[in-house]
Amino acid sequence: MASSQVELSADGGRVAVQVEDKFVRIRNVKVSVFAVDSREKLLEFCFDYCYWSVDPADPHYASQEEVFQDLGVSVLSGASEGYNVCLFAYGQTGSGKTYTMMGTPDSIGLTPRICQVCLRICVHVFSSLCSHFSFLEIYNERVRDLLRRGEQKKRASLRVREHPDKGPYVQDLSQHVVSDCKQAMDLLEEGIANRITAATHNHDASSRSHAIFTIQYTQAILENNLPSETVSKINLVDLAGSERADPHYCRDRLTEGSNINKSLVTLGIVISALAQNSQMSSSCQSINSMASEGDGSTVGSHSSSLSGGGGGGGGGGRRHCFIPYRDSVLTWLLKDSLGGNSKTIMIATVSPSANSYNETLSTLRYAAHARNIVNKPRVNEDANVRLIRELREEIDRLKSMLLSFEMRNPSPSLSDERDGNLSDIVLQNELKVMQMATVIFDTSSQSLVIFS
Amino acid sequence: MASLSSDEWRAICDKFTNAQNLTDVESRKDPDNDPFRSKYKARELLREIYCSLKNFEAGDGEEDSGGESGDQRPKEPPVDGQREDVFGQGFSGDSPAGLRAAKLGAVEYYLGVNHVDTEELSAGQEHLMNCMKLLERCRVSSENVSLFIHVRNQLGILWAGRDETETAQGFLETAESIYQRYMKEDGSPPTDMTEYFTTEEKLLTHQERTKRFELAYTHTMYYLAQVYKNLGETERAATYCHSTLQRQLQLNQFSPMEWALNAATLSQYYITKGRYMEGRHCLAAATVISGLAGEVPSEAAAQESETECERREQLRQKRAEIARCWIKYGLNLLQDAKKLLEDNIGELDSDRQEELKRARRREEEEEEKGRKSALLFGSEDTFDSIASLEEKVPCLLPLDFTEARAVFLVGQTYVTQAKEYFQMDGYVTDHIEILQDHSSMFRGLAFFEEDLERRCKMHKRRVDMLEPVCNDLNSQYYLMIRRQMMFELAETYNEMMDLKLTLANRQADTESLDNHTIKKFNSLCSASAKYFQMFLDSLCSPEGKSPEHLEEEVLRPALVARFRVARLHSQLISSVPTMQLDNLNRSLENYKYVVEYCDAHPEAVAAVETELELSREMAGLLPLKINRLKARMAENN
Repeated sequence: MASSQVELSADGGRVAVQVEDKFVRIRNVKVSVFAVDSREKLLEFCFDYCYWSVDPADPHYASQEEVFQDLGVSVLSGASEGYNVCLFAYGQTGSGKTYTMMGTPDSIGLTPRICQVCLRICVHVFSSLCSHFSFLEIYNERVRDLLRRGEQKKRASLRVREHPDKGPYVQDLSQHVVSDCKQAMDLLEEGIANRITAATHNHDASSRSHAIFTIQYTQAILENNLPSETVSKINLVDLAGSERADPHYCRDRLTEGSNINKSLVTLGIVISALAQNSQMSSSCQSINSMASEGDGSTVGSHSSSLSGGGGGGGGGGRRHCFIPYRDSVLTWLLKDSLGGNSKTIMIATVSPSANSYNETLSTLRYAAHARNIVNKPRVNEDANVRLIRELREEIDRLKSMLLSFEMRNPSPSLSDERDGNLSDIVLQNELKVMQMATVIFDTSSQSLVIFS
Repeated sequence: MASLSSDEWRAICDKFTNAQNLTDVESRKDPDNDPFRSKYKARELLREIYCSLKNFEAGDGEEDSGGESGDQRPKEPPVDGQREDVFGQGFSGDSPAGLRAAKLGAVEYYLGVNHVDTEELSAGQEHLMNCMKLLERCRVSSENVSLFIHVRNQLGILWAGRDETETAQGFLETAESIYQRYMKEDGSPPTDMTEYFTTEEKLLTHQERTKRFELAYTHTMYYLAQVYKNLGETERAATYCHSTLQRQLQLNQFSPMEWALNAATLSQYYITKGRYMEGRHCLAAATVISGLAGEVPSEAAAQESETECERREQLRQKRAEIARCWIKYGLNLLQDAKKLLEDNIGELDSDRQEELKRARRREEEEEEKGRKSALLFGSEDTFDSIASLEEKVPCLLPLDFTEARAVFLVGQTYVTQAKEYFQMDGYVTDHIEILQDHSSMFRGLAFFEEDLERRCKMHKRRVDMLEPVCNDLNSQYYLMIRRQMMFELAETYNEMMDLKLTLANRQADTESLDNHTIKKFNSLCSASAKYFQMFLDSLCSPEGKSPEHLEEEVLRPALVARFRVARLHSQLISSVPTMQLDNLNRSLENYKYVVEYCDAHPEAVAAVETELELSREMAGLLPLKINRLKARMAENN
């Protein structure tokens, strides 16, 4: 269910990117300092949607409204069907993630638009409905409540936990019941104002943190003519800039491309990925591993031998291991959104500027890769060889019974059938058959041989 | 340095120290909204140093030689590795020209790192390549070898970040070979780049020089590990990770808990490859080294202070995680042994067992050999404790109950340890995975148990640990885990039922089964069917409808569950004909489902070939059985 979109925004200078229909093309117009690399390259990527939001005068200009009509609406419809929905924005600092997710006062983004519609539905369609909003920020693996007012604000970091009944949650995160759009917008603005933003040379208000805005809303439905409730969760995630280069920052696996981690502090991540890749044979591991983490034991330790029957000698067969790498807070919190019953939309934002060629290319590659994010937990299964053998025996018995029955009784009048042995097999239970059978314990093979 | 006065030189040195301090120390205190403030300041200082050096160079008499080599500078692609011999040509490292090139190169290097750190990658690259060009004029020697390695490390990182893994590989592999050749041919403690800008009295000791140089090379190994990982060469990547860890330990550059956890993680790589000896070595090292981190602060101490609390949490968590790595070790060892010894109905194959026991001696010798050739962890004071811990844990596949039990007990000890930290409240998925592993270990052990009563009890233990948890979890959040547990419970009950049946068959020579046994059998049979059914129900829509289309990941489990429900219903014992009829009908219904689903979805056939074939047969034959029963019932009425 993962899908990807690419959106562009302007930052002046020479343009290296074109968008046409579902395709993004990127041209290496910047002559490299090295002769060999100066050949012009044109690379093409295909996504579910591509938008060009550089110049409002451009006939192909995609407005916030247009993006909302495609993506926002599918978020809302997913949620109303009872899915957990998750929408990510990913991209280089300054390429417009926050613009897309939050927008500006003049050009509001996806999150406020989704809130508005959500509340309109709640208020007008189901009068008894309620929505809970929460807004948090993850900065250097610490969780801050963006909507917490007053004295508790100084608390260091909120803890993420799992409850057997309530699922993954952030302990002490404030939940806000909202009944109209105005309230929702106020909360949103309050949260945004509380976010940590940083000034770098690239971009004066780049987001240095992940922000997750969660709308949890309860729908009343009729189940077997009884009123019942379903709870849906919409997670809107504004990821930190994709090029973050702080060596002390533990890269989240979600935002990890083919980068090299500089500091030996991150050796653990590398070894984890190795162990993880080695137990999964899938080709898109780096991403899969991230998704599978979401379910802890699932893909990690329990992919089933789908073909049935345990593999042969010690060399074969899957071995399952434990990767002692704590999920990043982000992955942990989104595990129920990334797991089985959820829809995920990813927006990659890139800058069309030739100066950002390398970063843009890497973002596009990542986004193309991200289409494969799927979380498919498996059920572990015993090889049921014994059962199959027993069943084959029963089938043989039934068949021979059928055969002898047909030979004796071409026209099936069942009344006088008195073939004790065979009819007993048919009428008695398996167990009784066995009980009458002579049982010989074959010591050499330690298996049971049954003569009937 | 003739034309540079000592005052001027001192000023340069001060600027450099200042820049280093800004980069390494001050930058950590930069505010969140201006994170590169100190680095930008450091950049200015470096630029000033660069200009001073350049000016000095211009006014210097030896300029001509520098100019000459500027002309020969080859135009090269940013690929390293195929360059001509860096040891044979150019200025010698200790010549004035060589030293000047190295100094300028070092400033370019620091400028490059500074730009990369502040997210200006292209500018960073340019500086780093300038450094490369300056070094091209020099031969490798103890004066510059450190810079040779450092700049390639940085370029490796830079290119890997742009998905140009091969380019990165080129730089890093050259760094590796430069190190190796230097150590072979020279090996004296090389000058550190910081020493280019220090006054005489502040030069480093040989010991410190070696330490820094080795650390740079440790990084090369680490970066290569990542490059190989990204290229899909996992085996090689693992070896480089192993070497990185080993170097950290040898050079005493590690923090115990972090190192231990990394070694434990590496064990998991080896385990998935079936290399238990290496896996055990990593785990033993992990346990020993984690001990160096000290005692867990008491709960009382944790309540007193925030830092103690944090430390307590960290130590407990990481030790519990290492314990979980040990659990997987034991579990996989048992499971691999089971796979190896299983006959065609899943029982222990005694011929095979004998054969493997005979082969054992040879294996033991190989273990000894392997140990000698392996890359072993350890510093002087830890080597023996690691080895003695290894001796306590088997690393060969267990071939009989006694051996299996030894493995099981090791695993079980770690289960207890891990559960102390990963409790249900707060760590639901972790706690449950530990329970599942424990259950699987019992299953592995049961395979080796010859006494069927005792085997049955082991399965009962599995049920007891999983059943209450499975029933208490909320499906909305833990659906997948619940499904796994339902399936496992269903299979465990079925296993117990089979064992009861075998036992009953052994005892009941001629007599019919006693009521108690029948009751027990039926209850196990129903319990198994109940959990398979629960699994199937979990796939249904909220309105309770079976899905039209089964997703790939549940396709086989769902069809197998149907198949097994069918089988279980036909096995229930009842003396009441109407109930027999009911059971047979339920059975038929489920066999038919498998057949009909596969007819409607031909792509499903491959996943359940055997089950489908048998279901088809049964769906054809069961009506006959049912008709016979009906006839009998009609007759009796």
